[in-house]
Amino acid sequence: MNRLLEASGVTVTFGGLTAVNAVDCHVDEGEIVGLIGPNGAGKTTFFNAISGFRRPDRGTVTFRGQNILGLRPHKISHMGMSRTFQIVKPFPEMTVLDNVMVGAFSVHASPARAREAALKALEAVRFSGWAHRLASDLPVAGRKRLEVAKVMACDPKLILLDEVMAGLTPSEHNEMIDAVRNIRSSGITVMIIEHVMPVIMNLCDRIYVLHHGDLICEGAPAAVVRDPEVVRAYLGEDFAL
Amino acid sequence: MNSIVLGQTIVSGLLLGGIFALVAVGLTLIFGVMRILNFAHGDFLMLGMYFAFLLSVLFGIDPYVSALLSLPVFFALGWAIQSFLIRPVLQAPESIQILLTVGLSLLLQNLALFLFSPDFQSLRVSYGGNTATIFGVSVSYVRVVASVVAVAASAGLFFFLRGTDVGKALRACAEERLGAMAVGLNVDRMYNVAFGLGIACVGLAGVLMTPFFYIAPQVGLPFTLTAFVVAVLGGLGSLPGALIGGFVIGLIESLGELFMPSPSMKQIATFAVFLVILLLRPQGLFGGKLT
Amino acid sequence: MKRAALAALIVFLLTLPLFAGSDAVARIMPRGLSGSALLNVFLLIFLFGYLAQSWNILGGFAGQLSLGHAAFFGLGAYTSTLLYTEFGLSPWLGMPVGMAVAGLFGLAIGFVSFHYRLAGPFFTLATIAFAELIRLTALHLKFTGGSMGILIPLQGNSFWHFQFTGKTPYYYIALAMLAAVTALIWWMSRSRIGHYLHAIRQDEDAAEAIGIDTRRYKLIAATLSAALTGAGGTLYAQYTQYIVPDDVFAVGMSVEIILRAIVGGSATVFGPVVGSFILTPVAEATRVLFSGGGSGAAIVKLFASDAALEAKLSGYFKFLAAGGGGGGALMLYGLILIFTCLVMPAGAIPWLRRRFGQ
Repeated sequence: MNRLLEASGVTVTFGGLTAVNAVDCHVDEGEIVGLIGPNGAGKTTFFNAISGFRRPDRGTVTFRGQNILGLRPHKISHMGMSRTFQIVKPFPEMTVLDNVMVGAFSVHASPARAREAALKALEAVRFSGWAHRLASDLPVAGRKRLEVAKVMACDPKLILLDEVMAGLTPSEHNEMIDAVRNIRSSGITVMIIEHVMPVIMNLCDRIYVLHHGDLICEGAPAAVVRDPEVVRAYLGEDFAL
Repeated sequence: MNSIVLGQTIVSGLLLGGIFALVAVGLTLIFGVMRILNFAHGDFLMLGMYFAFLLSVLFGIDPYVSALLSLPVFFALGWAIQSFLIRPVLQAPESIQILLTVGLSLLLQNLALFLFSPDFQSLRVSYGGNTATIFGVSVSYVRVVASVVAVAASAGLFFFLRGTDVGKALRACAEERLGAMAVGLNVDRMYNVAFGLGIACVGLAGVLMTPFFYIAPQVGLPFTLTAFVVAVLGGLGSLPGALIGGFVIGLIESLGELFMPSPSMKQIATFAVFLVILLLRPQGLFGGKLT
Repeated sequence: MKRAALAALIVFLLTLPLFAGSDAVARIMPRGLSGSALLNVFLLIFLFGYLAQSWNILGGFAGQLSLGHAAFFGLGAYTSTLLYTEFGLSPWLGMPVGMAVAGLFGLAIGFVSFHYRLAGPFFTLATIAFAELIRLTALHLKFTGGSMGILIPLQGNSFWHFQFTGKTPYYYIALAMLAAVTALIWWMSRSRIGHYLHAIRQDEDAAEAIGIDTRRYKLIAATLSAALTGAGGTLYAQYTQYIVPDDVFAVGMSVEIILRAIVGGSATVFGPVVGSFILTPVAEATRVLFSGGGSGAAIVKLFASDAALEAKLSGYFKFLAAGGGGGGALMLYGLILIFTCLVMPAGAIPWLRRRFGQ
């Protein structure tokens, strides 16, 4: 089993506040790994720490055996790990196709080939029909899908998805779940931050649970959901399974 | 070079610094509350000068009386400009906000050029030449008055922000716009107040300078640039920073004039300092919050 | 329909010098302006369109608002001119040297600014500071002629000396430069670098996340933009045959350069060109019709005098009607810029597209 991502002891502090506290985690090739936790648990901060957007105060992060700590995000993306943003960041003035082409250009220098790769990525998330619409015209679900297509066009080995389900209706959830499954079948490993429990239970092989920056549980979905600490952390939350 | 000359230079620098401080205080207040860099700031100083000049030539009004009159006039002017020109672009990209104030600067400078011609004017007052000698240093009355009033106004504004309800509301809007709206503050009106106050400051500075400075449509730009340097040095949004920064830059320019081979090269010192600050410590001496 | 109109325009522009001197044109021109003045206007349209396109690579495409491009313009002008006056080097050869110098400064300013993470208004302020430093230096160096500038000695009609007695050769050179830079930008917009710069402009974080080395591409944009602007400086020097710091290095020149790009549409390929076609004739017309030059001192004397109020007012209005103290053209610029920011912030082209739907 190929270990793609290995993070150990990752700690991120903001002033006096410890947002991520000595978190260990790993992702192996072919998995769909979930990262859950109540709001403010430090999930996005952890993503920022491993994708080069925020240098951790302590800890090590390796990707495909190479140390990626301190590398700028674009380098990490070139090495094969790309991420989406919780508040989606499309390029509003460009068409959907141009947006995805930006991602494709990191692999192909020629505009013609980048275009081809972009169209393929749009196919993979079933978004080809929207290729020539302006990104700013898209509804939320469309923007999320665009975000995923952009990242896929970079030809990554590991994708970090940050709350791609937020703001979607239940039927849109199912479409996105299918899309993520397709991504895995096409050979890309996925790590996904999510709030929506049914999605996590459905998709993930393994789950990490963060709470106030601490890793409080790790394991298969069924086991994690029954863990008393996890239940306590989510106290009051309804697990509609 | 003897101590008298050095003393003269230092005093002159401090006096000029007081004016710089008032101008920069206006700029930094506007930035602190609204996050807008007013590239037309110095042109309002120019308008202040012409305001005093016109009142003097047409009605014989003394500039210090004009100074009092300028406060409500320029406050209203700032209020109006915020309402009609600035508010529409507050949500626009930063480059548009910058370009709007650049356009305003172009308009004001050339409107003045059109109305008054490029000829330098000056306002002569009977007491303009009076000086006093303290510790061997000769100081001109009008410069001292200008500087003292400028510093007093800056300090007054600082206590206004600290002590009054309006001042607290301004600070609230500066720190957390949405939160301020949520507690019922009329953020739009606060922006009008902030801009009005900022313009009143710089207009007052202009009026105060008329007894000893030349009046021309182009005086604005160097003051805009200097105001930026001072405000950034002190930390954008910090009034005490602008005050101290004003004196620092005033001294640097004055000493620069003394030590540089050609007097007009003193601006090189100012811009060099500016670049160094921008690069090494853009948050300036006192960081960012509106204080 | 559109293509035919465009083709007609291109033919018109290509052949204008051939009939500009004719009587027919002289009859249409207002106020006794000659065909030569017409050529001058178009030449300036081309030159400033070229400069705006060059600026736009950094300012529009990469989204970094530089208000200091006059520095690169002036550096190009001074480099080729000094090489000519001191060493007799043909300005044609001096032009690429000027481009290299300007490009180097662009690289330096870009490197320093981006390395220190200057963004938004701070970057703009830094560009202004750089340009002012360069202007002040040029004002005080004897080597650059100080505040008197440099007068290029007249050599009559000579290709090698890059000087011509008539406007026509300059006209075609300017047109060629505009066409070349527009072609470059058109190519860039479809290629990787264009997409990358566009992405950087809209969202730098997202661009980084997707594999774009934002620092590197911003540097490329800065260097290219600066170098191209420098070439424009050489053309300007050879056309006006006189360069002086308070003209070529001034903030006003920086504003002139960016205005056309902003008004025309800074995120588009043809925006700067359209902007130049709109603004330059307006500016020149205003300059001619509203030349001003009245004396402020005389007005002040009038108002301080004992004359009757009506006499004072009518004297003042006469002064204004003659153009006042000047500045009419730039007032208009200011109004246009404000209007653009309020009504069509993306520029004329996107605004027109939205209005007329194509």
